[in-house]
Amino acid sequence: MFSKRITIPILFLLLALFPPFFLSQYWLHVMIISLFYVMMASSWNLIAGFTGQVSFAHAAFAGVGAYVSGMLAVRTGLPPWLGVWVGSAAAALLGLGLGYLCIRMGGIYLSLTTLGFSEILRIIITNEDQWTRGTMGLQIPGLFSEYSKVSYYYLFLVLTVLILVLIYWIIHSEMGLTFRAVLNDELAASSSGINTIRVRIVAFTVSSAMAGLAGGLYGHYLMLITPDIPSLGQMFLVLAMAVIGGMGSFAGPIIGSFVLEILSEYIRVYGEYHVLLFGLVALGMARFAPEGLMGILDKRLRVGWSETP
Amino acid sequence: MDAKRSPQLLIEGKGLTKSFGGLVAVRDVDFHIFEGEIVGLIGPNGAGKTTLFNLVTGVFHPDKGTLVFDGHDIRSRKPFEICRMGIARTFQIVRPFLKMTCLENTWVGTLGRGQGEGSREDRKEEARSLLRLVGLERRERALASQLTLIEKKRLEMARALATKPRLLLLDEVLAGLNPSEILQALDLIEMIRTKVKVTIFWIEHVMGAIMKACDRIIVLDQGRKIKEGPPEEVVSDRKVIEAYLGESETGEA
Repeated sequence: MFSKRITIPILFLLLALFPPFFLSQYWLHVMIISLFYVMMASSWNLIAGFTGQVSFAHAAFAGVGAYVSGMLAVRTGLPPWLGVWVGSAAAALLGLGLGYLCIRMGGIYLSLTTLGFSEILRIIITNEDQWTRGTMGLQIPGLFSEYSKVSYYYLFLVLTVLILVLIYWIIHSEMGLTFRAVLNDELAASSSGINTIRVRIVAFTVSSAMAGLAGGLYGHYLMLITPDIPSLGQMFLVLAMAVIGGMGSFAGPIIGSFVLEILSEYIRVYGEYHVLLFGLVALGMARFAPEGLMGILDKRLRVGWSETP
Repeated sequence: MDAKRSPQLLIEGKGLTKSFGGLVAVRDVDFHIFEGEIVGLIGPNGAGKTTLFNLVTGVFHPDKGTLVFDGHDIRSRKPFEICRMGIARTFQIVRPFLKMTCLENTWVGTLGRGQGEGSREDRKEEARSLLRLVGLERRERALASQLTLIEKKRLEMARALATKPRLLLLDEVLAGLNPSEILQALDLIEMIRTKVKVTIFWIEHVMGAIMKACDRIIVLDQGRKIKEGPPEEVVSDRKVIEAYLGESETGEA
């Protein structure tokens, strides 16, 4: 007798082992990119959905991971296997610094500062082209000596699961309890003995480290890194995935990432407009279904199974 | 208080002043509370009662004056530090963590003391026993947002007690309750006082309700302390009556 909480994730995990056996190379690529977005949206959800800090620097931290790992590989020959962790640590360190500086401001000021940080980083990467090759993109080595989408798929799957397990563990731990207390009522949390600033900085740093890792993996998969990785377009896509899927729920951003990434393959013909479209849908969701697809599903299931309230 | 043993001074404020722009919310207020006492803080609307609480709990810092709790200067401490030193509070307008269950709300209160002491299960069990104490054991898994007002107030008390305070500040716990709920709340406070043995500093807008419970009452009006003493002395004081009824100097109340 297994509980629903255990069986559903295991079921999905088993299903996730099969795609390489029947998907075309093209759709396998879509799956790999989706997994990248799962890491991004879920880790962003950890700060935005669980501590209420809407950061716009998440894509920037992915960029930090990608460029640190990529440039180390190109300039010093550091193996990408190690580089992605160095990139993740660099993102964590920058996250800690940025968090320390601007988390006290909170609310909209945090959003604006992180937005500024994100743009500054993108501009630096674009302009320092003797190091980064700017918008031309920097060619970097892959993670496997022999290129194979199947290997990348399993690698992304393992690390996505690792990140999700870590997030799940955090939100169900006592630390997660303090995250939610801060999100619910900062003054009440602080009056109950919770060091709210510390809680928010910890969440911000952990989340940045995850974005850095995701970014590093993404870069070494594409083997070409450009300032598009730390761009705001990317950031809004991640935001839309979390909001549409359901912020503040564990499964929400996972669902959102797959739905939007797969959908965007079909509306790619409209070019950059797909981000605009997703933005509008996210706005509509935020207004009419603030708990996202996950919230809608949850209600349906509850009514359907008529569980005790 | 009996004179067998000299009572221990728990908190003392001297010359406390706090202004917001041109408005002086608390002006040159002295107060002290002994360990084990239950002290009422009353006064008309806008008298500065909640501001004084906010000074004590570190939400605001005083412009002038000293504030010493258990021998430590707490003037410029942050709310979480003050809570960890042993001062907990409830809020005038209740502030439970609405999207968390009753158990989680109370559990959060046990976390500030440092997660080093005891295990996760110990803290959870402690939260459960506090919910039992305030009579919410059957609402353990309900979200705080689903509770009635008096239940929310009970929950806030459980959360405050979970921080193991030596001084508990109650901000108008009776406001908004109907007469039978007021009796329940009074019983609860009495029980907390005897079972948990915590010193209580208690704001109430209505005098009658806390008359019986308090050892001593402090009266604020327009930011100043206008009277302090045993309840019977306070209610018969002319300045207090004037402050409440808004009478002029003739005092025909």
